Amino acid sequence: MNAVASNVLVSNAPILLILLPMVAAFVALTGKLLPSDGAAARAIRTFSILPLLPAGWVLAVSLPAVLTGPLLYELGGFPAGIGIALVLDGLAWISAALIALVTILVALASLPHREFDPGYFFFLHMTGAGMQSVVLTGDIFTMFVSFEIVAIGVYVLIAWEGSPQGLLAGLKYLFLSSVGILFFLFGVFLVYRDLGTLALAGISEGVAAAGGVGGSLAPGPGRSLSLAVAALCVGIGVRTAFIPFHTWLPEAHAWAPHPISAMLSGVLIKVSFFAMIRIIRVFDAIALQPLLLWIGAITALVAVIWALAQHDAKRLLAFHSISQMGYILAAWGAATSLSIPASYGHAINHALFKSLLFLAVGIAIHRGGSRNLYRLRRVATGAPLLAVALAVGSLAIAGIPPFNGYVSKQLVSTALYGSAAYPLLWLAGIGTVASFIKLSQILFGAGPTQPDGAGAGAGAGAAAGLTSAAGAGAGAGVGPPLGLAHPNGSELPAEGHRRLPWQEGTALVVLVALVLATGLAGEPFLRGLWRLAEVAPGALGGGGALSAPGALGGGGALAAPGALGGGGAPEARVGLLPAVFAADRLLGTLPTVLLGAVLAWVVTRRRIRALSHRLATVAPRLKTVLVFFVFGLVLFAIVPILAAAP
Amino acid sequence: MAWYLIGAIFLVGLWGVIADPNMVRKVIALSIANSAIIMLFVYYASLSGEGVPILGGEGTPVDPLPHALMLTAIVVGICVLALALALVYRLYRLYGTLDMREIERRVWSESE
Repeated sequence: MNAVASNVLVSNAPILLILLPMVAAFVALTGKLLPSDGAAARAIRTFSILPLLPAGWVLAVSLPAVLTGPLLYELGGFPAGIGIALVLDGLAWISAALIALVTILVALASLPHREFDPGYFFFLHMTGAGMQSVVLTGDIFTMFVSFEIVAIGVYVLIAWEGSPQGLLAGLKYLFLSSVGILFFLFGVFLVYRDLGTLALAGISEGVAAAGGVGGSLAPGPGRSLSLAVAALCVGIGVRTAFIPFHTWLPEAHAWAPHPISAMLSGVLIKVSFFAMIRIIRVFDAIALQPLLLWIGAITALVAVIWALAQHDAKRLLAFHSISQMGYILAAWGAATSLSIPASYGHAINHALFKSLLFLAVGIAIHRGGSRNLYRLRRVATGAPLLAVALAVGSLAIAGIPPFNGYVSKQLVSTALYGSAAYPLLWLAGIGTVASFIKLSQILFGAGPTQPDGAGAGAGAGAAAGLTSAAGAGAGAGVGPPLGLAHPNGSELPAEGHRRLPWQEGTALVVLVALVLATGLAGEPFLRGLWRLAEVAPGALGGGGALSAPGALGGGGALAAPGALGGGGAPEARVGLLPAVFAADRLLGTLPTVLLGAVLAWVVTRRRIRALSHRLATVAPRLKTVLVFFVFGLVLFAIVPILAAAP
Repeated sequence: MAWYLIGAIFLVGLWGVIADPNMVRKVIALSIANSAIIMLFVYYASLSGEGVPILGGEGTPVDPLPHALMLTAIVVGICVLALALALVYRLYRLYGTLDMREIERRVWSESE
């Protein structure tokens, strides 16, 4: 490839990342013209994935340029501030890579199922395009539009199967996130009124000029800016699903079609999280960090308690998505030097293993014909790859070495060490181990369908089985995964002979390989991530770097701001990571696992199950949820003001 | 005065989404709350001048940007409204009622 072509590709990288999924969406849409059951319509679905693949090439080519500074792309040649500008900085690169990877795998895993017609693929790819533009946009109004593009696609996809639960979950999510986005728009209004700009770069300049968010106790721009940042955070917070905005997530993620659940839990909540972090950084609202630390820690613990009470396998996973978002939020809120690699690293790792878990559990539910984890038995019979995927995913989320969850959870606990919130996360870690021991029952047991109640004693046995599956999982990453024997090695029941379709198999293999790779090579991976994340248009309070017009003429939209806003070169801010595979840290996971096994044994007792069943069915009404909502808004607005008070 | 009116309209919409059990009325309430935000932008822009923002217009032109933004927001709002009504219709076809509490109760008792 010659240098000119490469340059064109790099300077157009931000728009290409958005356009590729759009092209894919329109390819899928042509399939609507064909008879929906024909071979041609099915072929169109496969073809629609192809336009996504060059995204990997675009990202690879643009990486060296991004490492030297953010790429700016001005849409239609209008300068930033007048037109729409796209910014590909380190964080945007990371999220774009994640979105591209997971949407390709999710589309691949959707192919074997007939009910996903070309229309489904259209909405899937449009959601992908929307997510890309959320992370790449350089102004908050375009962010609003992108969020709504994502949301419209997601409402349709959640309700795609037409089940009453899916329809209701979709409608509830629609009400909540639409109210949320109204608050976001209100925040946009306050920003425009007080600062006269909507560009992220302009906002950080304006905030600095107004004396920071919160300001003094006297009425002034500082106080209305703190309301603005609260409204923006609450608007996005609904989609990030931390407590108290989490109530829609378990239903929506549990009742969406299985591949869509993987996308929602894997990337969508991360995209919202990254957008929220971007806004907090632009506003330099550091006073919110202690609030996020506590919200995160409480979210992590409370969601795990609810997860333990679930008997629906997908709801259990959905509650764990909330809980893991708590870890991510707490690590970021801890505001220590390790916060960025810990929280971004855990966000990426969670995206990988949770997509894997949702795909694998979805396949298991499809094969087993039940969602109840006390009834699902030996789901992986005849498909050892599924057993590997479930084992690897469960071990990664439980934080067992050498998987990626272990590495990033170690960083999270190091970042939080000494904080008062640390014990909450430690307890949440035990709960996580326990609930995945509970989930791992679906791999074992006597027969494929069990009456409700026979699974009660299986918890402790499953704990031992999980450890043996760990060794098997680690081995499978090196050798061919199909060479793995079934954990129980017993006779296969007749209907268990169904093999995995190759598309689903490929998606699982890729994710298992990535979970292993980011675990075994955890330290270099997270260090690279940290280095990349520091490439931002003015880290905390800097700003202004983007307003410099690009030096390249003739339609070349590539502007490389020479100096970052503040704090010197990005390398200088990347510190040392602790050695996560040290012996004392490895031993430190032992008590967590043992306590988790005990807890798993306790919660699968019959009497406790009756109690937890009552807990699991507590579903807050929409009214309560919206009261939470207003409460959250007030909390976010008042904290920066209180922090600024002497 | 107009500010308070806009605030009141927003709260009426919000209250409808929260408290009205009828799903169609919830959707309408959402639309009302959305309109309040649109009015907020448009009213603010109208204070910045008195002329139309076209070349050769008379007087100080008003700030055109909020109008452009709200045009986009209206389009987005219509899409969400249409989708919400489609979901409500599907639920109505399944359960024969528009009462969200009733549907929630029946959906969760089914999925046990």
